[in-house]
Amino acid sequence: MLSRIASYGLSGLEGFLVRVEVDSGGGIPAFELVGLPDAAVRESKERVHSAIRNSGFAYPQGRVTVNLAPADQRKEGSVYDLPIAVGILAATGQLDEKLTEGFMFLGELALDGGVRPVAGILPMVIGAYNERIASVALSPENAAEASYIDGVRVVPAANLRSLVAMLKGGVPLEVFPPRGWDNARVAYSSDFSDIKGQQGAKRAAEVAVAGGHNLLLVGTPGSGKTMLARSIPSILPELSFAEALEITKIHSVTGALKGKDGMVAERPFRAPHHSASGVSLIGGGPKALPGEISLAHYGVLFLDEFPEFPKDVLEALRQPLEDGFVTIARAAARSTYPADFMLVAAMNPCPCGFFGSRVTPCRCTAQQILRYRNKISGPMLDRIDIHVEMSEVGYADIAGRSTGEKSEVVRARVNAARALQARRYRKEGILFNAQLTNRMTGVYCVLEPEAEALLKKAFSTLKLSARAYTRILKVSRTIADLDGSENILPAHVAEAIQYRSLESKYWGTLR
Amino acid sequence: MKLSEKERYLFWLGVANGPGAARSRKLLEAFGDDPKAVFEAAARGDLHEHMKGDVAELMKKRASERYIERCLKRLEELDVSAATIASRAYPELLKEIYDPPVVLYYRGTLYPQLRLPVAMVGTREPSEYGRRAAVELARALAESGVCVVSGLAYGIDRAAAEGALEAKDSAYPTIAVLGSGPDVVYPEANRDVYEKVVARGAVVSEYMPGTEPKAMHFPMRNRIISGLARGVVVVEAGEKSGALITADCALEQGRDAFAVPGRLTDLKSAGTNALIRSGMAKLVQSAADILEEYGIVKRKEEKPGVDTGTLCFEEELVYRLLVPGERSFDELCELSGLSAALLNSTLTSLEFSGIIKQSPGRLFSL
Repeated sequence: MLSRIASYGLSGLEGFLVRVEVDSGGGIPAFELVGLPDAAVRESKERVHSAIRNSGFAYPQGRVTVNLAPADQRKEGSVYDLPIAVGILAATGQLDEKLTEGFMFLGELALDGGVRPVAGILPMVIGAYNERIASVALSPENAAEASYIDGVRVVPAANLRSLVAMLKGGVPLEVFPPRGWDNARVAYSSDFSDIKGQQGAKRAAEVAVAGGHNLLLVGTPGSGKTMLARSIPSILPELSFAEALEITKIHSVTGALKGKDGMVAERPFRAPHHSASGVSLIGGGPKALPGEISLAHYGVLFLDEFPEFPKDVLEALRQPLEDGFVTIARAAARSTYPADFMLVAAMNPCPCGFFGSRVTPCRCTAQQILRYRNKISGPMLDRIDIHVEMSEVGYADIAGRSTGEKSEVVRARVNAARALQARRYRKEGILFNAQLTNRMTGVYCVLEPEAEALLKKAFSTLKLSARAYTRILKVSRTIADLDGSENILPAHVAEAIQYRSLESKYWGTLR
Repeated sequence: MKLSEKERYLFWLGVANGPGAARSRKLLEAFGDDPKAVFEAAARGDLHEHMKGDVAELMKKRASERYIERCLKRLEELDVSAATIASRAYPELLKEIYDPPVVLYYRGTLYPQLRLPVAMVGTREPSEYGRRAAVELARALAESGVCVVSGLAYGIDRAAAEGALEAKDSAYPTIAVLGSGPDVVYPEANRDVYEKVVARGAVVSEYMPGTEPKAMHFPMRNRIISGLARGVVVVEAGEKSGALITADCALEQGRDAFAVPGRLTDLKSAGTNALIRSGMAKLVQSAADILEEYGIVKRKEEKPGVDTGTLCFEEELVYRLLVPGERSFDELCELSGLSAALLNSTLTSLEFSGIIKQSPGRLFSL
C-alpha cells in the first residue's frame, strides 16, 4: 500500500514542502530511502524501526520504499523521522491515511517512540502557513516557537503512540494555544542607567543608535567599553513583530532556540571572540549556515579587541556592512541571510592599553602603536561614523558619579529621531541617516552658512581627511534630528566634529 | 664651491680618510698641520709609518687632483655642501671639542656663530607628556632666538625640530645632525621635517653623502650634537637611553646639561630624574630656566591672553574649570553640569579658538 505525508525541508531561511511517500509491500525485507537524503536522514531508518516497534505498532515484514519528494532537493537533518514513521503506519493500514490530511509532521524520533525537537521550526511553520496546511504535529519542546504563527494549529505530541491516538480520535487533540506578540516582551538585562559616569560615551551611543551609525569605542582596559556596548540593545527601538519573526527564523535555523520560549524578543547582542574564523562570523560551512553577523540581525554586533581580529575577517565584513545582507555560496547550498546589524567595535588605544591614561604609563613604542592601529584599514574605518574615546573610571569616581537616564528615556528620544528620519526618507527607500548615499547627503544634509564655516575650519585645524567630511555631515544630521531640528545648526556640527576628531589624533599624525 | 688651498686638501683628507676624526688629526699633527703635505706624502706612498698598509694604499690611490675634482663635482650634483675645519662656515663651538670632524657635509645654511645653540635630546619612544614638553620647550626656545640642535630621529628628536619650526619669527630655528649622510633621510617618516629644517636651518653630518645609518654612527653623532650646542636639554630618557650619552658628552665637552623632570613611576623619565638627582643637570620647567643660564631674561610668560568677555556662558564655564589643569571629558561633564551634547560642541568651539587642546584619552587642557 502507498501513503503520502506532508513535511518540510529548509535551505537557508527559505524552504519547500516535502512529500514523504511510503510504499510497503511484499518481497524480501528491505528499507530503501531515496530523494537526496543526507547521513542524518538516512539513519532515520533505524530510529523509525525501533520507535514503531516500541510504540506497540507492527513494523512491516516486507520491502519498504520511502521517497522524499521533490527528489532533486537535498534533505537534511532528523526532521523526517516522524513523517516517515507516520507514513509507514498509514501504508501498512495501522492508521487511516485520511486522518493525516491537513497535517504537517516535523520531528525527530527517539528509539522509545518519543518525539524530539528539531532546529528551524519557525521557518518551517511559516512554510506550512504559506502552503495552507492547517496543523503541524511536532515535539512539545518546539511548540512555543511555533505558536506565534497565527493560522496554523500547533499540535504537540510527546510520543508516536499519543500522536496516533489523537489522530484516530480516541484521545482529544491537544492544541498549543496560539500566542500574541505582546507576551514576548522582555526587559533587557543591562540598562543605560547602570553605567556610572561616561556621559560622553553614552551620548555618542545615543547618537549612533538614533542615526543607525556604527560606533568605535577606544579606551584603556576597564574603561567600560564592553558594558556600554552591552547596554546598547536596550536603547534601540522596540522590535516589531515582523522584525522579531525574521530574527527568530535565523536563530531557529541554527538550532539555538530548541527548548527555549519560542520567539527572540530581545534585540540580539552578539560578541564573537577575536579568534573567530571568517566562516563563523560571516556564515558558511557545508550547509551554508548563518554566521554571527546574521545572528546579530536587527541588533548589535560587538567586536571587542577590534584590531586583534584577523585582517581578512574584518575585510569580509565590509560588504555585508554596506548591503545589510550576505549571500553564502557553497558547493552544496547557496543561501542569502539578512545581516542588518549595528557594528560596535572596541579597541585599546595601543598594544599595552594605557596610551593616554593618566594613571598607568604606556609602555609601547611609537612603531608598536602605529602597527596596532594600522590593523584597521582605511575603508573599514570609513564605515564607522562615530569614534569615541573612553577614559578609565576610578573607584572614587564610580561611587560619586551620577547615573544618568534610564534606557527607556533615551529610547524615547531615539524613537522620535528615527521617526523623523523615516518620514524624511520615505521616498528614498532608506530608514536612517547612516544609509544616506553621497547624492542624498547633498540633498538632505544642507548646512547653515555658519555651520559650513565651522566645518571648514575643522578641516584646516584638525587636519581631517576628505572621507571624514561626509561622515561628519551625516552625524550632524542625526544630532539635529535628535534635537528635533530640521536645520543643521553650528552646535550640531560642532558636536559631530568631536566624534571624528579621533581620526586625526590616532590615524593622522602619529609618528 | 670655491676652496682655498688649505681647505681643498683638508677636504681631500676628510673624503679620502673617511669620518675617522682621530686618525685625520694624527696625520695632520705628523705633517705640521699642513694638509697639502699629507696629500703629497700620500701620493708618494709615504704614509705607511702612520697607518695600516691597506689604508695607506687606499690613500695613495686617492691622492690625485682628479679625485678631488670628482668628489667636489659629485657634491654639487647632490646639492650637498662641505665645510672643512678651516672653512669660515664651520661652527666655532664645534672646533673646541676634543675630536671635531675635519669635514662637515651639510644641506641648508651654516654659520660659524649661532646666536645661542641648545641641543634637545631624548627617547625615541616618548610619552605624550614628553612629546609635548619637547614641542613646547623647543618652540619657546626658538621664539627667544635659540637655535635648537637635534638628531632628527623618532620621538623627542622629531618633536624638538617640530617645536622649533613652529617659531614663525625665528630666522634660524634649528639644526639637525644625522647619523647618515646629509642626503639620507632616516627614518623616512621624518622627511617632511627634514625638508623644513633644510629650508630654515641646516642638516649636517660628518658622513659622506649616501652613507646609510649604522648603529655605530649614532654615538659619534651625539658628540657633534652636544659639540654644536652651548647646552643640552634631556627631555625624556630611560635609565640606559642614548640621550644620557649625549648628556655625558656635553659635560665632558664643558657644556651645560639640563633635564626635564618626570613622574616617579615613569620609567621613561628614570634617566632624566637620575641626572637631576646627581646634580649633573639643572632641572628645567620652562624655557626661561635655560635662557637665564645664558643671561637672557625672557619677559614673564603669559598664557595666551584669553578675553573671557568674548566667550559665551558655557565656554567661559569650561575655560574656568580648566584653569587649574588638565581634565577629562567626564570630569568636565560632572563639574560643569552641561549635557554631553552641549559640552561636545562647546569644546569644539574652544578648541578652534585655540584656547584649549585635546590630548589622547579625551583629556583637555588650556
